Amino acid sequence: MKKKKQRVAVFLLLSIAVFAAACSPSPAPAPVEEGKNNLVSADAAQEQKGAKEAGPAYAMNPKAYAMEQALMDQLMPLPDLHKGERIGALIITLANPFWVAMKEGYERAGAEMGVEVVVMAAPTEGDTKSQLETLDAMVAKGYAAIIASPIEPFNLVPGVVRANKRGIKVINLGPPINKEALKDARGWLDGRITVNFEEQGALAAEYIVQKLGPAGGKVAIIQGIPGAGQSEGRTAGAKGVFENTKNVEIVSIQPGNWDRNTAYNLASNILQAHPDLKGIFCANDVMALGVVEALQAANKKNDVVVAGVDFIDEARESIQRGELDGTVAMSPFLLFPRSGATSRW
Amino acid sequence: MYRGRIWLYFSNIFHQLLLVFVLLVMVAYLSSASPFFFTWNNFRNIFDHSSLYIILALGITFVIAAGGIDLSVGAVAALSGVCMAVAMHSGLSVGLSILSGICSGAFMGMAGGTVIFLFKINPFIVTLGFMSLSRGLALIVTGGIPIYGFPKSFTWWGSGHIGPFNPPMLLAAFLIVVAAVMLNFTRFGYYTLALGGNEEALRRSGVSIFLYKVLVYTLCGVTAAIGGLIVTARLNTAEPLAGWMLELDTIAAVVLGGTSMKGGRGTIVGTVIACFLLGILRNGLVILSIPSYYQQLLIGIIILAAVIFAEVRARKGLLGFNKK
Repeated sequence: MKKKKQRVAVFLLLSIAVFAAACSPSPAPAPVEEGKNNLVSADAAQEQKGAKEAGPAYAMNPKAYAMEQALMDQLMPLPDLHKGERIGALIITLANPFWVAMKEGYERAGAEMGVEVVVMAAPTEGDTKSQLETLDAMVAKGYAAIIASPIEPFNLVPGVVRANKRGIKVINLGPPINKEALKDARGWLDGRITVNFEEQGALAAEYIVQKLGPAGGKVAIIQGIPGAGQSEGRTAGAKGVFENTKNVEIVSIQPGNWDRNTAYNLASNILQAHPDLKGIFCANDVMALGVVEALQAANKKNDVVVAGVDFIDEARESIQRGELDGTVAMSPFLLFPRSGATSRW
Repeated sequence: MYRGRIWLYFSNIFHQLLLVFVLLVMVAYLSSASPFFFTWNNFRNIFDHSSLYIILALGITFVIAAGGIDLSVGAVAALSGVCMAVAMHSGLSVGLSILSGICSGAFMGMAGGTVIFLFKINPFIVTLGFMSLSRGLALIVTGGIPIYGFPKSFTWWGSGHIGPFNPPMLLAAFLIVVAAVMLNFTRFGYYTLALGGNEEALRRSGVSIFLYKVLVYTLCGVTAAIGGLIVTARLNTAEPLAGWMLELDTIAAVVLGGTSMKGGRGTIVGTVIACFLLGILRNGLVILSIPSYYQQLLIGIIILAAVIFAEVRARKGLLGFNKK
């Protein structure tokens, strides 16, 4: 029992280390910044190609894998493992390529570490109630630990409390669970590794600003579902950068609802109102890819810089083809499944 | 009887004239508010974006006129897009792939219609089930990851050029004509309206309810699949989540256009005008840079106002246009 507690403590330390690294300002822009959101742009595509050939037979993005390795090295040594334990992972939805990659990561990590990782998800990106019900079912099944990525800060709170009561360790990964609400409900988290969404938006916006150069120009932002944490965070981050840059003017902020076709329509409409548009930031890659299609249809691809967030595989290929300009990759995200699986028990 | 039909005709025309009037007011306002609105390029955008809604709404017009409803069109569009993508990536020719996608849409519609008829279940619930079923199949087939990268001859269907127009617009225009003729001048259209008006009477007059009900839902499945073709080709990607909530947007357009939710009354022209109305509204809100939170609100208010007005007018004989 004592030993168990010790391991939890070790894990908490590790997660703080990751989080701290994510918050600290980077000394100098390096191609791979450990623990940070990393911007991947067309300039880096060449380098990436090399990595793909040299790297191991890994299904995920090679560059993301390199980031993950660097971060894992920081976390060494990892605590001992109890082989054969069952760990539950609750992600957002398997209808989004990003989370599908996450599930693969969890399962691969589980196989490597010799623990069984069961990954569950909500049917859609917006189904907060189903996600809570899934968590409740997982609590009832009595996993050793549950790693949860909530759709929004509040929807999983009651489920986490129930897990606490049954003595199941809960680790919050990715989008944050609201700590105050959890405290009010007399629950707690045993660990947390989260992502700074504002920073993601800011990074992408900085890239667009840099591409525009001193001349600046008009830019637009395409959000996800209004109100969703990732969407609002990334929008705020990008907005902050654009507003603080001379000569750059935000002409439109529109909701794309994470939907490719909506983003396609929005991009062509925004271009109509602002033919001299120079840059578009999208809150995820799926929408950024829709925007790229719209720009190509309007023969405007070369005039407008497009950046997204997530670094999904399709975005990587698009960057290599010279279509999408840039995206923000989340190295810790792809690592999390491993750290979560390794650090327990 | 004859007199009644004339009144019905006037009533329909009046509703459409009203929609046209609202549409013109909107166009006039947006033209004065932004120099970028009243340009050919912008109208091309509106036609392009509306074509998808129009094609799906045509099928739904038939279903609603027949007294039913179809909530599965968005999911069926996604499923048939995925079918086309899988077929193409397995080496089938583009033509055959498109055909397979459209067949999958037709099949889902046919299955839905059959279940509704055989078990006499409310179409709302049945098509809700088919919505989930189609979405689930699309997710299973793709594994949640969009399939992308298709031959040029396929993407042409979404982003090609034919003179100043593109294939989705021309496809929509062609289907509008076909649907209008079918609804107004064929036995199929007549029975569709009769199904919505008085199913029992139709059955007693010896018409196969089964056949026409299934046909109506199959037709709706086919238009959904054509919508899937356009989305997939335009984005060069088959997404399992394509067409999310599309069914609600299109149903709203059909009802706004003057097709009665109670069945027995349908209008293709009204549906098309309503689709343009909503298309111009969406376009205008972006052109005017209306903050995103207000857009949903505004679209909701406009749909509610129009539907309430239509209902009140039909019931109370507002402005003298009363069926009685």
